[in-house]
Amino acid sequence: MGNEFYKLSVGEKALKFINYMLIIALCLSIVLPFLNILALAFNAGKDAESGGIYFWPRVWSLENFEKVFESTNIASAFGVSIFRTVVGTFAGVLLTAMAAYALKSKTLPGNKFFMMFIFFTMLFSGGIIPTYMLYKSLHLLDNIWIYVLPGLYSAWNLIIFRTFFQQIHVSLEESARIDGYNDFSIFWKIVLPLSRPVIAVIALFTAVGHWNDWFTGAFYIRSEELRPLSTLLQEMLLSAEALRDTLTEAAGVANYERLAKIQVTANSLKMATIIVVVTPIILVYPFVQRHFAKGAMIGSIKE
Amino acid sequence: MQPVTSSVSSSVKPKSKLWKSISTHRYLYMMLLPCVIFFLIFSYIPLGGLLMAFKDYKFNAGILGSPWVGLKYFEAFFNSYEAKQLIRNTLIISGIKLFLYLPFPIILALMFNEIRSKWFKNFSQSILYLPHFLSWVVVMGLTQRILAPDTGLLNEIIAKLGGDGSTFYMMEANYFYQVMFSSFVWKSIGWDSIIYMAAIAGVSPDLYEAAKIDGASKLREIWHITLPSIAPTVVILFILSLGSILSAGFDQIYMLRTPGNMHLADILDTYIIKVGLQQGQYGYATAVGMMQGIIGFILVILANRISRKVSDTSLW
Repeated sequence: MGNEFYKLSVGEKALKFINYMLIIALCLSIVLPFLNILALAFNAGKDAESGGIYFWPRVWSLENFEKVFESTNIASAFGVSIFRTVVGTFAGVLLTAMAAYALKSKTLPGNKFFMMFIFFTMLFSGGIIPTYMLYKSLHLLDNIWIYVLPGLYSAWNLIIFRTFFQQIHVSLEESARIDGYNDFSIFWKIVLPLSRPVIAVIALFTAVGHWNDWFTGAFYIRSEELRPLSTLLQEMLLSAEALRDTLTEAAGVANYERLAKIQVTANSLKMATIIVVVTPIILVYPFVQRHFAKGAMIGSIKE
Repeated sequence: MQPVTSSVSSSVKPKSKLWKSISTHRYLYMMLLPCVIFFLIFSYIPLGGLLMAFKDYKFNAGILGSPWVGLKYFEAFFNSYEAKQLIRNTLIISGIKLFLYLPFPIILALMFNEIRSKWFKNFSQSILYLPHFLSWVVVMGLTQRILAPDTGLLNEIIAKLGGDGSTFYMMEANYFYQVMFSSFVWKSIGWDSIIYMAAIAGVSPDLYEAAKIDGASKLREIWHITLPSIAPTVVILFILSLGSILSAGFDQIYMLRTPGNMHLADILDTYIIKVGLQQGQYGYATAVGMMQGIIGFILVILANRISRKVSDTSLW
């Protein structure tokens, strides 16, 4: 590689250099804001107000995190997020894969009709208000199962699963049938174990979707303790009122003297919350990152 | 008599065959049944709920029992002073995301293609894919902080360099499009480049060899070989994305909206949420959403047809 480099013309060398520099700059544009937020989250809030904090805290403090956990519903929000991510992903992936396997069978009477029936839902939906009305009549509003039930099946994932299952060799299934397996046990004991890569990818994307969804918690849930992490953060970012309440709470009920004493500020609380929300994703990301990139390709095969 | 009996016997025979086939597939039907029920409830019932767009919805009477109002809500929307601005804002924002953004991930893919160092490529790609997995809530939290007046990172740096450093980027309408577009590029560019990289990887090396023999420079290689080779991919992806032209990205815009930029940031999606969920004008909001859905639907169908004609590739 080194030799090759010396053979290049000056112009090409310059181009190469610029190319590397631009990519490094792009990477920095992603890493540096995170470092900045991290530094602010670990810096005493009142001190940060005077500015000048870049990528390292000036006055170290864990108070932001303490106050966030004391005075907001972040603990229960964490629980809600974990619950919906685990249960929603597990049930959703399993059920969708099962239906996709059934629809893979070319001999199944009505196969084409069912595919159209499902595919159509990707093109046209009733929209937000009729969906809201449906949830209302199903008593799903302000109910924790609203995070799981409407996401049990995904037409898009179903099509990806089906495409994958179609590539599994029929002879495997045929020989299992001779051994006395029924369709369900073939799916469970043969098809699922063979499909680990595609299951991993779809499970990861489903899990990220669950973790990141703030909309459901913001518009279909009323009780504070049923809100997931991302909704909690969204409210902190958009509503000054929610923040003021949190701050007063942090100081003890409307105790202005104590309010003057505590070191946290609206901004420092926000920073700590952002860190709490992204930490699980950042921790898991390096390990699953390869699957994700593969996932982009699976999605594109369809297109 | 004769023809009738024969027709009966021939229609019974396939029927019993059908039944037999259904019963041999009973396990598959059991696996499929919950799925069908799910889509019936969660997708098709809301489709029926679109009737609300033509009714004066009364809570006690339910959707079916409420009185018809015809196209009143559609007329009301198009006659409202907001309609023009909403449609304009939606088209501008999604236009920026469809047209202006289009070359960015392609350029990034071309740039990655020139990187020879494997670890550098893997490492930088890992970093650039990351924002795709963060929600818009988090991204906007970062943006708010970095762009904050005085103490935000950007303003601090500007002040250090001798500039003003007190601009409130999120509040000032002048900066709305810049903030919207750059945060969009920031979040999507890495991930969206993957598909173009795959397309570039598929270009035959023979073509590059031939170009090298002819003494073509790197830039000419890109212009005359790489770009024409990936053009079909670009065209398909672009045509398919046209269907979303009336949804400008609710999450991002909702988080980006401030009193200062509202006249630019109010789009159809945020409007539907406002009048529907927050003000309770169910019928009216359903009508606006339905109009958006129908136009999107027609565009997807058209786009698919064009894509099939142009490139022999289509979604169905």
